[in-house]
This record gives sequence, C-alpha cells and structure tokens, in this order.
Amino acid sequence: MLILSRKSGESIVIAGNIRVKVMRVEGDVVKIGVDAPSSVPVHRQEVYEEIQRNNQQALTQPSAPLPKLTPPQK
Amino acid sequence: MEMETTAVAPGNQVRLPTGILGFEQFNNYVLLANPAEMPFAWLRVADSASLAFVVINPFIAMPDYAPDIPQPDVEFLDLKEPADALLFSIVTLRGPNRATLNLKGPLVINRHTRIGKQVIIANANNYSVEHPLPVAAASA
Repeated sequence: MLILSRKSGESIVIAGNIRVKVMRVEGDVVKIGVDAPSSVPVHRQEVYEEIQRNNQQALTQPSAPLPKLTPPQK
Repeated sequence: MEMETTAVAPGNQVRLPTGILGFEQFNNYVLLANPAEMPFAWLRVADSASLAFVVINPFIAMPDYAPDIPQPDVEFLDLKEPADALLFSIVTLRGPNRATLNLKGPLVINRHTRIGKQVIIANANNYSVEHPLPVAAASA
C-alpha cells in the first residue's frame, strides 16, 4: 500500500480525475473530501460491505418460489 | 413458477453501468413481472439466465420510506425530476416465511433511458439492509 503524509488542506490525485483532499483533522477523525466523476462510486467501506454482503445473500435463481406479501399486522 | 412464459420485451432491459455491489461484472439486466407474483418482480441477469434478484417497490412495504439519493447519482442517472425514477429494493428470500428488504441500497432506474444504479442513499444510517418483509409461503 502506498502511504503518503498529507496536511490539512492538502490533496492527492488519482488517475488524473479523482482528487482526495484532507479537509480537517479533529482528534482521531479525519474529514476527507473526494472529487470524482459521477461514474466513479465512492462509499464508506462499512456500508459498502454491508450492502455487498446482502446482495450476495439476495442473489437467487429465476425459478425460486416467491412468497406472498401479507398485510401489515395492525 | 412458469417464469419462462413471461415475454421479454425490449423495453424491459435495464443497464446498470456500475453493476450491483459485489456483482460489478454484470451490467445488463431484464426486469420481469409476473402478475401472479406481484408486487414482487425479477431483475434477471441478462448475461447469465440462471441468476436473478427479487425486487419490490419499497413503498409497498414501508409507505414512509424517504431515501435521499445523492446528487452525483441523480446526475449520473440524468434524473430531471423524481417522476423520472423507478425505485426498487432488493429482496432476500430467507425461508418460506421469511424475507428481508435492503433499504440502504435501493436500485434507482431512469425510466426513460433504462439506465440504473444501486445507490447507497445519503440517509443509509436511518435504514436497515435487512428490513423484515411480512410474507407467508404461497399456497400451491
């Protein structure tokens, strides 16, 4: 892994069109700004992984039997 | 289930340029709805006929669902107004009487261009990826 030291307000550029900037450092929280083309997905890793895991569980076969939706219990 | 009887009209094709998270290799899908299975629908992987996701309009399960679609996604999908978007949530079948709904990462499709994306909503912290869906096994 490439490790770079950056100060608050400094950036790195990836592939010429993605800019990652350290906005602010407060204690152990680093605020990061990402400028990327809208075609490049940028996510917090934990949410990304949670959805990815759920998608893997959700993948099924077109022949899977579907349940019926039951009316909400009032 | 006679899924094979469902006609695949060209208009049912959906392109997901960034794929479904974890399945970035599949970009072409077919959206199929069998009236007997409503309100569920199928998002079938066009490149691999044996793979599919079950999807549903999330508002049927949660009428006050208020997903906040991030602006870069709105631009990516070229959505001019909310009515341009079709919204689906991916359903996970967990047993005959158990299913859950992913409310953090809905599928947003531009109904005119048929281009869609699995969007991580800006207010994902307010919702679950495993929201329980009230279901019962379909009687034969």
